[in-house]
Order: sequence, then structure tokens, then C-alpha cells
Amino acid sequence: MMKEPKDETENNENRKNISSTVPNGISGDPAKTLGLLHGLRVCQDAWAPKSPWDRHGAHTALWGRPAGSFLVVQGSLSQDQLLCVSVGDSGEPVKEFSIMTTEKALRLTASHLAFPDLFQLLHFYTLSRDVLPVCLLVPSWVYTLKNLPDHLVPLLGPKTWLCPSSDLQAKSSMTPETAETAETVMCTIQVTAASGAMCFINPLYLHEHGDDWLTHSSANPVRHPLRRDKRLSTTRTWEGRGLKKRSSSPAEDCSTFNNDRGSFEKTPVTPSTTPGGVVLRRASGTSKEDPLKRASTDSIQSPLPQSPHRVSWIEDKIWLNSPLPSSQLQPPCLELDSLSVSSIEEESEPALSPSPSLPSHRFQLADKMKNRLSAVGQAIGGLMSPQRRLSNRVQEMAERKSGAFAEAVREFIEQTLTSEPTPEITYTEMLQEVRSSLTALREILFDSTEIQSITDSFGDTPDFELDSMLELALHKVALKPVYSHLYVCLKTARRDDGTLQRLEANKSILEDRNLEELEGAAGAGVPDSSVMEKILQRWTAMHEAYSPSKKVGTLLKVCKNIYHSMNANAKPGTVFGADDFLPCLTWVLLRSDVATLQVDTDYMMELLDPMQLQGEGGYYLTSLYAALFYISSFRPRVAKQQLSAEAHRSLSQWHRRRTLHCNQSRRSRNRRTIRRHGSSNGNRRTSEERNSLKASTESSSLTDDKSDTHESLQGLDEELQVLKEEEEGSADREQVQLPETIITSPQIDEKDRAVRVSWNERS
Amino acid sequence: MSTRGTGRANGNLPQTKICQFKLVLLGDMAVGKSSLVLRFVKGQFDEFQETTIGAAFLAQSVCLDDTTVKFEIWDTAGQERYHSLAPMYYRGAQAAIVVFDITKPETFERAKAWVKELQRQASPNIVIALAGNKADLADKRLVEYEEAQTYAEDTGLLFMETSAKTAMNVNELFLAIAKKMPKTDTQNPMHAVRHRGVNLQDPDAQSTRSCCGN
Repeated sequence: MMKEPKDETENNENRKNISSTVPNGISGDPAKTLGLLHGLRVCQDAWAPKSPWDRHGAHTALWGRPAGSFLVVQGSLSQDQLLCVSVGDSGEPVKEFSIMTTEKALRLTASHLAFPDLFQLLHFYTLSRDVLPVCLLVPSWVYTLKNLPDHLVPLLGPKTWLCPSSDLQAKSSMTPETAETAETVMCTIQVTAASGAMCFINPLYLHEHGDDWLTHSSANPVRHPLRRDKRLSTTRTWEGRGLKKRSSSPAEDCSTFNNDRGSFEKTPVTPSTTPGGVVLRRASGTSKEDPLKRASTDSIQSPLPQSPHRVSWIEDKIWLNSPLPSSQLQPPCLELDSLSVSSIEEESEPALSPSPSLPSHRFQLADKMKNRLSAVGQAIGGLMSPQRRLSNRVQEMAERKSGAFAEAVREFIEQTLTSEPTPEITYTEMLQEVRSSLTALREILFDSTEIQSITDSFGDTPDFELDSMLELALHKVALKPVYSHLYVCLKTARRDDGTLQRLEANKSILEDRNLEELEGAAGAGVPDSSVMEKILQRWTAMHEAYSPSKKVGTLLKVCKNIYHSMNANAKPGTVFGADDFLPCLTWVLLRSDVATLQVDTDYMMELLDPMQLQGEGGYYLTSLYAALFYISSFRPRVAKQQLSAEAHRSLSQWHRRRTLHCNQSRRSRNRRTIRRHGSSNGNRRTSEERNSLKASTESSSLTDDKSDTHESLQGLDEELQVLKEEEEGSADREQVQLPETIITSPQIDEKDRAVRVSWNERS
Repeated sequence: MSTRGTGRANGNLPQTKICQFKLVLLGDMAVGKSSLVLRFVKGQFDEFQETTIGAAFLAQSVCLDDTTVKFEIWDTAGQERYHSLAPMYYRGAQAAIVVFDITKPETFERAKAWVKELQRQASPNIVIALAGNKADLADKRLVEYEEAQTYAEDTGLLFMETSAKTAMNVNELFLAIAKKMPKTDTQNPMHAVRHRGVNLQDPDAQSTRSCCGN
């Protein structure tokens, strides 16, 4: 592994025309390296001065400094940073190199060597020039910074950093300070021809990280083990449809530990989990090597342990014998920005075949362009909000047709658009199917390294927040294309089961009631016409949104409006709870488009991430659902007992179903399904329904047996109510169909009828 | 991006465990359900209070020794006409407070009916507390303490007489419930998820505050 100095000289010959003044090679003392990394970290403000500093400032400061002196400043346009280096050239004393932040790592735009962080990047360039004309020069005091008291560190600014008198080891202004140790140089940077590739090897990194990570593609790149460990999930490939498990998430850690696997798997973190290390990027120049080898990944994959650092210009110039691609030393082709990824892919991949085994040239090209686009997108992405970045990336992934995620999304959309409620499949089942697919898709995203590289940069964001961010992003790619279809299905189903008609009919019975008649609290106000106008607009916005989460957000705004109106004329300090809020909400609903709201509510109840059914959003969604149920089930003529029994029955079914749904989602950490109609799961569902039916039977019979005093009191109330209704002359309109079920399917109806028969027999 | 290498703060999880529970409030209209909760939520714990859009849904945390118990409190409408909607609210609740007014015997009867319904239809392990509210109106008392106490014992409920007005027993009631909650809750997905290393609150606030004014 040791290199002879002459080798390096030979291999650097092609660089001599640029600069031969600074040799590559430096002491490989690991302690020193750590000292340098630490020092760079500690005095980051000194070499990467903040905002008022820009490239002009850096140029001025670096002018006349020893070659290799450098500063890192923000680029003027993008989030990306600029490495400004004094090159000691009289013509152009300071050169700039933009540092690109790609999804996983940082690299100089002109180079293909990527690093997990800026410190390692800079450290590398103190050792090797790669595309730089000179090695970077670090003041020697930086190595000793670990001994510096913390309070002194902030005093270190760019002036100290660049001050030539501050014990710079500038014996020769053109030599890196470390050259003094040249005698002990072990030549960390080596040139080897192992496995036919000429490359530099840095034994230091080899020593630190081993070399197993080399065999992993960048599709499986540097990961943060923390996030992995937190989720304890295994990465597995998406099989298009079917079960997608998150093997054992901590959700089960503290709870349902006895999942079907029976034990935790502390997933051994995949070997690719390298805390530090270098991500290799393939050269983007036209490659003449075996296309199979490089077909679909951006990385260099080799079977044997190879170089941690493969310097890109050698790879192309010598190894591949290809002319230096012009693009290589230039920023990414910006003209591509105007092209959308999808349009490129449309051209490049006409068939939807997921098999990339025989990639065409066009395929490769598209890959490359995507790479470019994603790099540019990443650069711009730095300016966006985290949600925006995630959403954009998810969108991009969904359009990348060869990807597993895109494939899954496509299949989901296709499947959803072709499914309709039938006697066999109710709309609730259909929506549950959609919901579990969404969850499965979200799991794919969560486990994807591309997404992880973004979310890791968000810092310490809790997983449930990441989940809801991913959920939002997912709504755009998966729900948006299908939501009109789902609405049509929902509306048809709700019309067929008579709910919408009942709502409309009862609305016209109830709509003249004032708040007192709805038993609202005295003193609580109702929205005036202008607030009501606003609320109606919000309902419209809620209806138009495709994302259930956004809908709930709008619902909360409406509820806030209602509270505001309630409080408007109330005594100061009055606080209104549910006793007051629910009647007021009902009052508002009676002045709204209840049929549309019912469909919206169904959509939200079924498609909202079960996590979001908790909390405030869950509460007010439940209230909306409850108030609509109150309106649709309002039947003054029916004796209270019967109403109660029926209400309990259907609610119990609803409860059962939602609980199942909730449990399902909870278990979905282990059991993720995109089910196909007629799949084997049908049996399971049927048995669940049978259970549900049984439960409801029990509950309704129990309700029947109930003979509490309040029941009879209530019966009295209802009779009074009936008398009132008749006085109002609305009796004719009460011939509304009995609500078979509130949310259950026609399929269940038959069994329900049986339940009612038995109930009737008893009474 | 230059800070990527400086490490993440993921490891600094609070020492305390955070358990989150859904608590539903049941009881006749105007027995003081909201006042009771408001007294609990706003009383002396402004720091812990989460802003909600209205008083029908409130959230509040209670610290036990090594656990922070967070209640999400779902109020229900007490009117009889809305009775049939209650299951939607108590579905999945892990705790319930059934409130009655000690000056109105009919509210006690109603409370008993709620308890019966909960025991029949709510989650099997639901922790139910009975609160005889308006204890400050002792001179108008029509439900005897012993009567309610005996009923609660027979039925296996927590029982306290409370006064939202004077704050009597309000925090104590919630603390008693918190103590009775299973700390390895499996029902609540939220809870499970938040245990994936989530710091909901300032850990300092958690560790330096003693709980519930005790």
C-alpha cells in the first residue's frame, strides 16, 4: 500500500501544466487528522465567516496571502458555498470553487469527490489538490485548537485565520504547512492500479472506515444510523404491491411487542451506514465502460475493495482514455433546468417495463440528466422550506418511472381509478384500501435513502412530524390524481344509502331552529351573516382540497370562527365547552351544504392518517361527523328507545370499524397491504364483519334492556317534540327512509335487518 | 450544510417518559364539565398549556415521578338529544371523567347511566373517575357524599367531590387518574410514536417542576 514518491510524480504529470508547485502527499498521522478536523470545526467562523462576508470580501482578504489560503463564503445566488483560494498567481490571485450540496454530501462542483461534511472536504483538499491548483493551507494553530479554552474560540475570526504572522508555518509561502513533516510522509494519497482502475488511496480513511462501504452503491449511501435505529426498520425492496412491513418500529417497542414476528429485530445497520466516508459519484462524462456496470446507479460499484478516493480527472483522462468532458469542470448544464424530469423520461422510457437489465443508451442519458437536475434542484432546494423540499423530492421520485416508489404510486393510482364500490366492496372498504396504500407508500418514502438524506438535514425533527410531512407530500402525488374519482364514488354511495337525502330533508325541517331550540347555551352567539359568508367560503375551500390533512386544517379555521362568534357577545370570561359548541356547530351546518359536507367528512374520516385522528383535528372532525349524524338521524316521530337502539347499533359498527381501522394502522407497522380486490384478505374481512355484527347485536340488545328513568323522561321529550313538529306542519316530510346504517355497507344491511328483526321481536 | 458534520442532538432525550392519553368528559349539561377541565388546564399550569382553538378540546400534562402524562381532553355535549353521539367521542378513550352536580340528583342518576354505558361499550380498560362537582354549594347539597362514594366503590371508580369554583380536588382528581393510567400503554398509537425519541416539551421544564402543585 505504500507508495513510492516517484509514482505520484508520474501520475501527477498531467496536472503539471496547472500547477506543480504543491505536491500531493502529507503526513498521515491520524491524531493530526483528528486534530485538524476538530480544529476546523471549532473555528468554523474563522474560515467560513458569516453573512456580511461575501465573495468580494473574501477576494480582498485573500489577496496576497500564501497560496492555499482559503475562505468559505456563501455564494451570491444560491445556498451553496464558495471556496475562495489564494493561488499565488499574479494574474488571478484568488480563485473560486463552488461547493455543491448534493443530496448526500458536499463536493466541489468541478470535482466528483463528495464528502459527508465540509470539514472532511477541506481536510481532503489540504492533502490532495484534485481539481484545485494548490492544496489548501491551514494555519498550524488549528491543529492545537482542542487545547484552546472554549471562551477564546469565538475570538477567532477571518483575520486571525489569514494573518500571516499568526504562526503560520509559512516557511515557504508556496508549500502547505505540513510539508515540514515531509520526511515522515507515509503518503496517504496513493496511486494504485488495483483491479484495473487507477486511483488514489487514502489509507487513513481505509483504516478508519474499512472498505466495505465501497461496495455499496450510492443508491444506498451514507445514512444516519440514528434515524435508522430510531425506527429500527429494515430496508426492503418494494414488491409493487402486497405486504410492506416496517419490521419492528419502536411503536411496538413499548407496546405491541408481540407482533407476528414475536421479537424485535434490532436491525443490524446495513454496512452502508458509514458515519463518515466518501460518496463516490460517477463522472458525468461519456463513459465507455460496460454500460451494464453503470446502468442505473450513479455510483461506482466494484466488487473489490478499492479506493476510498478516486480522483475524477484521472478516471476520465487516463483510465477511460476519453477526452476531458467539457461539462466536468463546469457547473451543471443549466439549460436543462427548463426541462422537467418527467418530460425527459417520457422520451427516454416509452415502456413501463420495470426491468432495467438491458438499459438503452437513452435510458442512461435520462439517468444522467436526472442526476444533473436533481443536483441543481438540490442546490435550489436549500432555499425552500423543509416541507417544500420533501414534496418536491417526493414528486420527483413519483415521476421517475423506473423507481420502486414511482412504480408503487402508479399502480396505486391505476388500481384506485379502476375500483368502484360494488355490492362486494363498500365505499368504506374502498377508502380503507386507499388509506392502507397511502400508509404503505409513506413507508417506502420513509425508508428511502433519498428521503432520509433530506430529512436528516432537518435536524431533530420528531418522526411523527416527518410522517405528517411525508403524508402531505404523498397526498399530492397519490391522492390528487384520484380524489375526484373517490368523491364520485363516495357521493354515489352516500346517495344510494340515502344519507344525503336524509340530510337534505332533515335540514329543511331543522333549519329554522334557533340556537335555543338546538339546546345551545343562552348567551352564546351564532355567526352573523358576514361570518357565515366566510364560513361558507371555507367550506368550499375545504371541499376543493384533495389532502385530508389540509381539509382538517380548514375545518379548524371554521371552528375557530364559530368560537369567535359564540364569544362575541358573551359575558367576558365565559368559556364555552362542548355543551355550547356542538349546538352551535349544528346551527352552522344547517345553514351549509350538508350533503357536500357529509362527503367531505367521510373523505377525511377515512383517509386521514390515523395519527391525525387524534388531537384537536380529530376532535373537531368527530364533532363535525357527530353533528351531521345528528341531523341525518333526526327523527322526531320515532320513539326514543328505538332511535337509541338504532343509533347505538350503527355507531357501534362505526366504532368497531374505526377501531379496527385504527388498530390496523397501528399494526400497520408490521402489516402493510395494498390489497387487490378478491384477494385472500377477503376472508379475514368477512370474519371481522361477522364479529362486528356480533358486537353490534349485543350492544343493541343491551340498549334495549335499558330502562333507566332518563330514558322514559327522554321518551316524553321526544313526544313533545313530535307534537311540535306536527304543529309546524312538517309531518309529511318525516317519511324519510329509516337509516339502516350510518356508515355500514349494503353488504352488512342484510345482517343488520336480521338484527332489527330480533330486536323487534323482543319489543 | 457546513454544520452537518457537527453532530445532531438526537441523543438528548428527556429522562422522563411521556405517555399520552385520551380522556373524555361526560355528564349532564351544565354540571360544570368544562369549568372543571378549565380549572385544571388553566389553573396553575400555564407553562404546560397547549393552545387550542376552544374549550371543547383541551390538552394538559401532569408530571409523575418519571413520567409525564399528557391528557387530551375531549368534552362532550351533555344534552340528552346529543346523547347518541357520545360513543364517537369516547371511542378509544383511555380515561373518562363522569361529572355530576351534587345539588341535582338527576345529574347523579345520569352519571350512573354514563358509567354503565362506558363500562359496557367503551375500551375495556378505561379508567373512569366520578366527580361530584359544585362541592362549594354544600348548603344546597342533594346528593350525599356517602351515597356517591358507596356507588363508586361498588362500581370500581375513582371518586372525588370537586369544585371548579374553588379548585378543590381538581388537580388531585387528574393526578389520581394519571397515577392509575397504565404507563406502558399500548392503546395509543400517538404515545407509541412519540416514544420514538420525541421531546415534546422543554426537558428542563419537565425536570424542574414538581407536579400538580403538590
